[in-house]
Amino acid sequence: MNITLGHYLALSTILFAVGLAGALTRRNAIIVLMAIEIMFNAAILNLVAFWHFKVFATLTAQMFAIFAVTIAAAESAVGLALVIAIYRHYRSVDVDEMKALKG
Amino acid sequence: MNYAFWIISAITLLGAFLAVTLRNLVHCVLSLILFFLGVAAHYFLLRADFLGAVQILIYIGAVAVLILFAIMLTRNVTGTEGPREVFGMKWWSGGVIAAAVAAFVLQAIKADSVTAATSTTQANSSVAEIGKALVADWVVPFEAMAVLLTAALIGAVVIALEEVMRRR
Amino acid sequence: MEHAEHLNHLASQQWLIPFFPLVAAAIQSLLKKPARKLSATLTIGAMGISCAFALRAFFATLGGGHHEEVARGIANFTWFKFGTTSLDLGFVLDPLTAGMAAMVTFVGFWIFVNATGYMHDDENFTRFFCFLSLFAASMLGLVVSNNLLLLFMCWELVGLCSYLLIGFWYFKPSAAAAMKKAFITTRVGDVGFFIGILMLYQHTGTLNLYTAEGTGALQQAGGLATLTGWWGLSVAGTIALMLFIGAMGKSAQFPLHVWLPDAMEGPTPVSALIHAATMVAAGVFMVGRMFPVFTAGAGDWVMDFVMWVGCITAVFSATIAVAQFDIKRVLAYSTCSQLGFMVMALGAGGFVAGQFHLLTHAFFKALLFLGSGCVIIGTHHEQDMRKMGGLKKYMPITFWCYFTGYLALSGFPLTAGFFSKDEVLLETFHHNKAAWGLATFAAFLTAFYMTRQMYMVFAGKWRGGEESHHGHGHAHDDHGHGHGGHEPNEVPWNMWLPIAVLSIFALFMGWLGTPWFHDNLFHHYLAPEEHSPEHSNLVLWLSIGVGLFGIFLGWLIYGRKTMEHATDADPLAVKLGGLFTALNRKWYIDELYEATIIRLTMALGVFFRAVDKAVVDGILHAIAWVAWGISQVVRLVGDDLIINGSFDAGCDGVRGSGRILAKLQNGRVQNYLRVMAVGVVLLLVVYFVK
Repeated sequence: MNITLGHYLALSTILFAVGLAGALTRRNAIIVLMAIEIMFNAAILNLVAFWHFKVFATLTAQMFAIFAVTIAAAESAVGLALVIAIYRHYRSVDVDEMKALKG
Repeated sequence: MNYAFWIISAITLLGAFLAVTLRNLVHCVLSLILFFLGVAAHYFLLRADFLGAVQILIYIGAVAVLILFAIMLTRNVTGTEGPREVFGMKWWSGGVIAAAVAAFVLQAIKADSVTAATSTTQANSSVAEIGKALVADWVVPFEAMAVLLTAALIGAVVIALEEVMRRR
Repeated sequence: MEHAEHLNHLASQQWLIPFFPLVAAAIQSLLKKPARKLSATLTIGAMGISCAFALRAFFATLGGGHHEEVARGIANFTWFKFGTTSLDLGFVLDPLTAGMAAMVTFVGFWIFVNATGYMHDDENFTRFFCFLSLFAASMLGLVVSNNLLLLFMCWELVGLCSYLLIGFWYFKPSAAAAMKKAFITTRVGDVGFFIGILMLYQHTGTLNLYTAEGTGALQQAGGLATLTGWWGLSVAGTIALMLFIGAMGKSAQFPLHVWLPDAMEGPTPVSALIHAATMVAAGVFMVGRMFPVFTAGAGDWVMDFVMWVGCITAVFSATIAVAQFDIKRVLAYSTCSQLGFMVMALGAGGFVAGQFHLLTHAFFKALLFLGSGCVIIGTHHEQDMRKMGGLKKYMPITFWCYFTGYLALSGFPLTAGFFSKDEVLLETFHHNKAAWGLATFAAFLTAFYMTRQMYMVFAGKWRGGEESHHGHGHAHDDHGHGHGGHEPNEVPWNMWLPIAVLSIFALFMGWLGTPWFHDNLFHHYLAPEEHSPEHSNLVLWLSIGVGLFGIFLGWLIYGRKTMEHATDADPLAVKLGGLFTALNRKWYIDELYEATIIRLTMALGVFFRAVDKAVVDGILHAIAWVAWGISQVVRLVGDDLIINGSFDAGCDGVRGSGRILAKLQNGRVQNYLRVMAVGVVLLLVVYFVK
């Protein structure tokens, strides 16, 4: 049985779900950020898989993947800075204790 | 390619799973690195060599190290969680939701014929090609990314330094 | 034709007029607090350069009046394209724009000079001047714009700047409330404005006002009159109505006028800028700019609506101004009232009269506000007129300048306000006698309350030194206490020079629009294709008569015997009793809003919180509630279809959705994320079911 696009899509879906579950369940804000990184990577893997199996001729998909990686890096930098700022303020990185957004 | 795919996929999945379930935060990051490595291996397998290299450099070299620093700045160095539960309240609902998303998407993938595509022609994604594309057709987004990264960097520094500056 | 090309060339440089203040604002945003001199120099210098450009454009348009049509230069350019649709922006140079730009830059320039004195001791001097520059830039952008979209952007920027400046002293709760009030109230009108813009785009396919080929939105306005719009109006009428709602918010027309009097919480130069040159002028200017649409819809009731809104505002605010004690508040209500005059003139078809009054009013109202700023500084931050008095002796220059402004606003013969107000009344007289009568009454009130103010502030003896037993009915009482004993003194030159310059205009500017020369100069300049309205002696003499009578009555009540003590009752209050209180409380409009809209919102909030407490935490509950709410909505719709207007179901629906919403807003980020993920699942379900 050859590996098809479907295999990669299934893999990235499961990875995404794992990341989503982590982001939804973990209490530690840093782990939540890590889980979001996992989701990001799953999406980018999708992009690359499509490129490999469907549109080999152009580089567009790879370009998008590169830009997505860049954005993910920027996101994690800002996100972690926020976590540190929040930690300074609350002395905690527990997302259950961050309730200041309450309307 | 078959065996490679299954083995690498197993490693990747394991890394992702451990990263979100382990109790020790440093272990979590190590698992995350395993996951990043797995994804990079997949990129190599898909002949996106440049992306694989980027994956290792950026994610393992930068992001993972950044996360480690964040953990050390917010916890004791060993990074163990306190006595409290690792998972937040209503954690099972998150699991259910994630499982539902996965189930539905997998269903959709199964139903669609596009997924049957198999590997086709030879790749032309040499680093030189990508470099040329980046400064020719994609130069505007490329520059925009440069600005974005600078802004994010400054923003991150400002956010993290905020209290220090206020204290002065 | 050479002239037209010259105008087009100048129009392509119109962007320079807002450009300099914008650059000044950008530079100042980077300055540090101690850079006061540099900041003030930048602001005033940039405004001076803009003023030079505006005057150049103004003089270029002067020659155009020889022909029977308006001289107009246009410069359009494409902003961006998607597919075959392109979005154009552009600048225009015609008498309306040129006159307005010249006024804004000139008046603005002197306001800025005055502000250097007024804000002299303020810690955030650079921030203030940065905002001022941005304010001027956005107003000028609005004026020179040849595109409704560009105009709308600048319109919102003007709103933003007024928000920032009204709340400049944001640490004062009243200022913070006033800034929010101004922003939100004008936003109500902006909704109408935006609908109008979209409708105009839908029907004309362009937002450019004028194009060289004659395809601009205003050039097509005539065609809109034949299409059927909403509420029995033609499309032109509907668009005009929507645009006017926007102008109502911006130009503080009843019932959206509530923000303007509170806007004086900002520093006084800001009040001068808002009340004279920029913010409120924007609404009247916009109606003038879009006047072809209004005239195209003239067969409908829109023009009458405009006229009556203006008329009601004019009378209504004038009555309130009679009973105010805060020097700036009197002026604020007088601005409302004068804006009512302008709008009324526009509604009566008097485009020129409205714009002329806008220009003259800008000069003397800026003068009055800056003058009141001088008074406030001179009396060491006292705003209550009851604690002033006798300032003529202490501040002679301010007095004489203020006096000219007073004459102009009261419509004293031969001053600027006299001619423009007379033309407004004349236009209204030809259009509707009842509105004219009311407006004449408002003119009488204007003369009366200004006389009252003059006597309270400048005549009699200085009452500031007295210990106040009055209680603290007024928000600003606490301000003056520390300095109660100080005698007032004259302000420095950078504060009186602007008002001296403006007072010259307040006295003589009216001659531009006098009907007594062979043809009304201003009328010929602004609308050469129209004839100025027929002269009427009745209107003229009655207008002079009520003005003088108002002054006489003011003297009778306040002048013969000036107030002795700050705690004395207002003589008018003794005579009018409860009515005076009602006027003082501004006809209880704020209380009405408080009692209805705000109370209702608060009650709902309290109710939802009680509901929130009663419901158990838990995301699955929320999901259950979502399902319940959907079924509830479905039932509500079903009920509505079957049983007409089922009240109970409506209540349940509101309560149910309130519960759900309260549930979702619990501040836990992860919950939000969860709900988002649930949304994804729901979308997937939809995908599969479909």
